[in-house]
Amino acid sequence: MKRTLPLAVCLIMGVLMMVQFFVPHPVSLQFNSTILNWVIVLSAFALVLAIGNLMVYHGNRIRRRQPGWIYSIVTLVSMTLMAGIGLVWGVDPDSLFQKIFLHVLTPLGATMFALLAYYMASAAYRSFRARSLEATLLLLAAFVVMIGFMPFGQYLGRWFPAFAEWIMLVPNMASKRGIQFGVAFGAIATALKIILGIERSWLGGKE
Amino acid sequence: MSPNPWIWIAAFLTLGIFSFLFKDNPVYRFSEHLFVGVANGYYIALYWHNTLRPNLVEPLAQGQFIYFVPLLLGLMYFAKFIPKISWLVRIPIGFVIGWGAGISIPANFQARILRQIEGTVVTPSSFANPWQGIWAAVIFIGVVATVIYFYFSREHKGILKPVSRLGIIFIMIGFGASFGYTIMARVSLLIGRFQFLLGPWLGLIK
Amino acid sequence: MKWFEKLTRIDRRVIYVLLTAFVILPFFIPFKIPENVMPQTRRLFDFIESIPARDKAVIISFDYSPSTQPECHPMAIALLRHCFKKRIPVIGISYEPQGPGLAVDALTLVSREMNIDAASRSDSVIYGQDYVYLGWKSGRVAAMLEMGESIARVYPVDYFQNPIDSLPLMRKVRNYKEIAIAIIVAAATYPDEWVMYPQARYGVKVAAGLTAVMAPEYYPFLQTGQFSGMLSGMKGAAEYEKLILEHGYTDKPGRAETGMNSQSIIHLLIIIFIVIGNVGYFFTRRNKGLQ
Repeated sequence: MKRTLPLAVCLIMGVLMMVQFFVPHPVSLQFNSTILNWVIVLSAFALVLAIGNLMVYHGNRIRRRQPGWIYSIVTLVSMTLMAGIGLVWGVDPDSLFQKIFLHVLTPLGATMFALLAYYMASAAYRSFRARSLEATLLLLAAFVVMIGFMPFGQYLGRWFPAFAEWIMLVPNMASKRGIQFGVAFGAIATALKIILGIERSWLGGKE
Repeated sequence: MSPNPWIWIAAFLTLGIFSFLFKDNPVYRFSEHLFVGVANGYYIALYWHNTLRPNLVEPLAQGQFIYFVPLLLGLMYFAKFIPKISWLVRIPIGFVIGWGAGISIPANFQARILRQIEGTVVTPSSFANPWQGIWAAVIFIGVVATVIYFYFSREHKGILKPVSRLGIIFIMIGFGASFGYTIMARVSLLIGRFQFLLGPWLGLIK
Repeated sequence: MKWFEKLTRIDRRVIYVLLTAFVILPFFIPFKIPENVMPQTRRLFDFIESIPARDKAVIISFDYSPSTQPECHPMAIALLRHCFKKRIPVIGISYEPQGPGLAVDALTLVSREMNIDAASRSDSVIYGQDYVYLGWKSGRVAAMLEMGESIARVYPVDYFQNPIDSLPLMRKVRNYKEIAIAIIVAAATYPDEWVMYPQARYGVKVAAGLTAVMAPEYYPFLQTGQFSGMLSGMKGAAEYEKLILEHGYTDKPGRAETGMNSQSIIHLLIIIFIVIGNVGYFFTRRNKGLQ
């Protein structure tokens, strides 16, 4: 029952939605519309799990006075304040919520990813070696694209940007399409395994 | 320099994160934890105003009692925190996963397989422009070679060996192109941060 | 330590300092190199050019977060400038949770810019009439699909809690039949889902503004025509800014275009780093071979 019922729900939903795609009858369309609205609402509840886990993790850190527990207070207090500000005062363009988003969340998020430029440059210098034909091809393709798509690439020869564009449109496109076929077939196989209950990792737990 | 205190807060937090380049330090740790907290608080307000209130609470208040079904399913998510009934969380998860798996099958076939095969097949009309025709043939060979490279159910012997070798060449060129673009992307993010520090904060550039 | 071994052991802090210096330098020594516009950027521009004024609307999906703001935000702003100037109605939505904050910022910036320059109310860009922002919705694919039947069922209110029926634009635009194109400015695989679901089922035209990391993956969609155009990274944004500047849709240069100088220098710098590393590697290997 603890595993059978969820698997049955998964099977029924999967089969119904596959069949619905091919049935344009008004009853089928109405059913589809109802289910879509339910999924929109259900997906919002998934946040509960994420926030709950966050609170449990940081709460435990504070309770047990683990190293860095002070920072967990920062996390929980800032989360509560931001949620309260948004829920009470709204999200208009001139609201405090929007100001905090633009001047706290935005610089933090943007800078975290900006650090990657430094790590990428350092890693490229340290480990990018033309050890084999394949690695050399990879390097050369990267150089052509990096130079060809920059404005000054055209000064190396009018053919240079066109060559870079050709690399994107022909060999790159061919390889990405081949990979995409693999991904698409894999996704279909996985979806079928989930619907038929062969793939059960989403159930979690032992019972 | 900007007189706006919000810009100064943004600049302080930016430099706090950049300080990690030297080493881990309390300012960085504070900024990192602040980011996690503010982001999650933002999501709570967003989910309430954009989905839960307009798509659940208000329809229920207007008497659309069919919405008790997604409400009940959604409340089952809370069961995760009660060990005795934690298995109930599998029901809404199964509902959403089954739904997603069901709709993805025809969608994948249509958009990522059939249309892509359509774009790969070489026909006489491809050669209306000779060079386009040649490149269309090269693309066809590249796609087939790439797919064969990833076919691991048989050993790459005989005809499979040179074809998969050709496939790896196409793949490496594709990855090189991706790497070039990745560098472009990461550098753009760094440029954006310096545009902010030098512009709105320090006022050194327009 | 021999010279070629030193080449492989440059301190990472030297790399960080050089990178920082060469990002900052072009801001103070500006130079102008004409941007070459890629065909996929021009395709999107031409498509929007072909949309008649005050006819079908354009959906712009703001699906990027602050972490990809330097690439995607200039694209969104350039697209908004183009649409507003051409009097093409715009419907803004987001499926990326951190998208709304940036969407509101872009819409507010461009609409205020247009209205400062407006000579009269008929030149102005009015919320509810010329553009709306519907906000974020969970259950992304479900929302995309349901919009094909009724946008109002997915968004009973807009982001600012206005009832959807109170917005004149949304009384005209009911579902994808009244949409000319959906442009997804994204930093994740949302464009895939637009092609797989709304386009496959309802035939809606799709274009994308992508981060440079993602762009190479989407050339297959460009080739089959599933994408009606594509902007790739900061370069794509700079190209679009150039196009709208050339065609008189704005007189303000964009941020992406000013960043391209730094971009060019840094690309050369990274190539030099990689070459130095490889020279050191090859000479080290040769030396070991000789020994």
